[in-house]
Amino acid sequence: MKPSLKFHASVVLLAACVLIIGMRLDAHHSFGAEYDANKPITLKGVITKIEWANPHCHIYLDIKEASGEVKNWKFEGYPPNVLARTGFKKDVTLKVGDTLTIFAWQARSGPGLAHAREVTLANGKKLYFGPPAGTGEGNPVLP
Amino acid sequence: MKKLYLLMAALLVATIVPLAAQNRGAVRPAPKTSDGKPDFTGVYQGGSTKRGDWDFQVPSDEPGVPTAATQSIATSQARRDPVPFQPWAREKAQEFLNLRSINDPTSRCLPGPSPRSHSVSLFPIQFVQTPKQIVILYEYFNVFRVIPLDQKTHPDDLDPSFLGDSIGHWEGNTLVVDIVGFNDKGWVLSGGIFHSDALHITERYTRVDYDTINYEATIEDKKVLTQPFKTSTTMMLREGTRLREYVCPENNEDVLRLEKLLENPELFKRTPGQK
Repeated sequence: MKPSLKFHASVVLLAACVLIIGMRLDAHHSFGAEYDANKPITLKGVITKIEWANPHCHIYLDIKEASGEVKNWKFEGYPPNVLARTGFKKDVTLKVGDTLTIFAWQARSGPGLAHAREVTLANGKKLYFGPPAGTGEGNPVLP
Repeated sequence: MKKLYLLMAALLVATIVPLAAQNRGAVRPAPKTSDGKPDFTGVYQGGSTKRGDWDFQVPSDEPGVPTAATQSIATSQARRDPVPFQPWAREKAQEFLNLRSINDPTSRCLPGPSPRSHSVSLFPIQFVQTPKQIVILYEYFNVFRVIPLDQKTHPDDLDPSFLGDSIGHWEGNTLVVDIVGFNDKGWVLSGGIFHSDALHITERYTRVDYDTINYEATIEDKKVLTQPFKTSTTMMLREGTRLREYVCPENNEDVLRLEKLLENPELFKRTPGQK
């Protein structure tokens, strides 16, 4: 049986309806409720504490501000299982006392808390400690 | 002379074709079990299309921007039809998005139906197969599904659950799984795609070659949708990867933090279309 024109049209229409969605990365929780994608920051400091726990690992850094005052910042990142696959080894890659540079997005609540993305170790090696901005928010409009 | 040309052409093809195959990475056939069924055994990465090693982003020289070669995993490689929500449900889902998914059940460490877990690219999935059942282990929330292959009907004493009750059967080389018995507490896909206890999912898993499982789910929900819709993704074999622990409630500060943020949603709420 030769497929009718109508059949062809419906197949084309069906194919057009299927979207390849650039779904933002899924995660444990919304990025944008707490952090501001318009406030990227790069900070260098000394590690004072490392929390290697679920659902987020945290790095605490002492950061010297322009005034000379030292402020302790908390940076949120991936859980241990994901960090193991992005190149981290617990107690080896990061240690209290190490100097670290972190690229992050600041919390909407202000300085002191941030969502870490990239860390640069003292030897210059770069690794991802957290997901990109926007992770877990969903697309702005429902497709 | 004509014969010479033919011989040269044949030699050229004989040289180039294997080289091209080698560059692509030779595609090996899907393995079979001793009873002739497709063998799904292995650890896979959902939401990826890359063969071989674990797919993850690697930093480039530009802060926050991954190298070009590792950008594919930036967004989940999942496909989805437009979601045919009933009008009230569309409004509710859009409100979830306006609030940047702050109410996502996963922020309270609650898992959801399998289509969502299959496109979470950073957490692997393991298939354990026997002739009478297939068990799928998820690193995402450390949950599992036991899928019997020898039962025609679901049990009659189901309690509503996050992952539902699964029964499977073979249709040729495809594993078809029917899932019912859900509660209404999860999101079937990320981004506000919520569901009711009427959710019914039909999954089709086909190991099309050694590295690849094609996955398609048909999602029905009479209380929330006007008609079924489909979502699909691929799961890529990751030999040498082991599942690790992810016990989400260990130090989930987010429950308290997100509740505090919800006291003043105007600080982060977006209007439709706003990034």
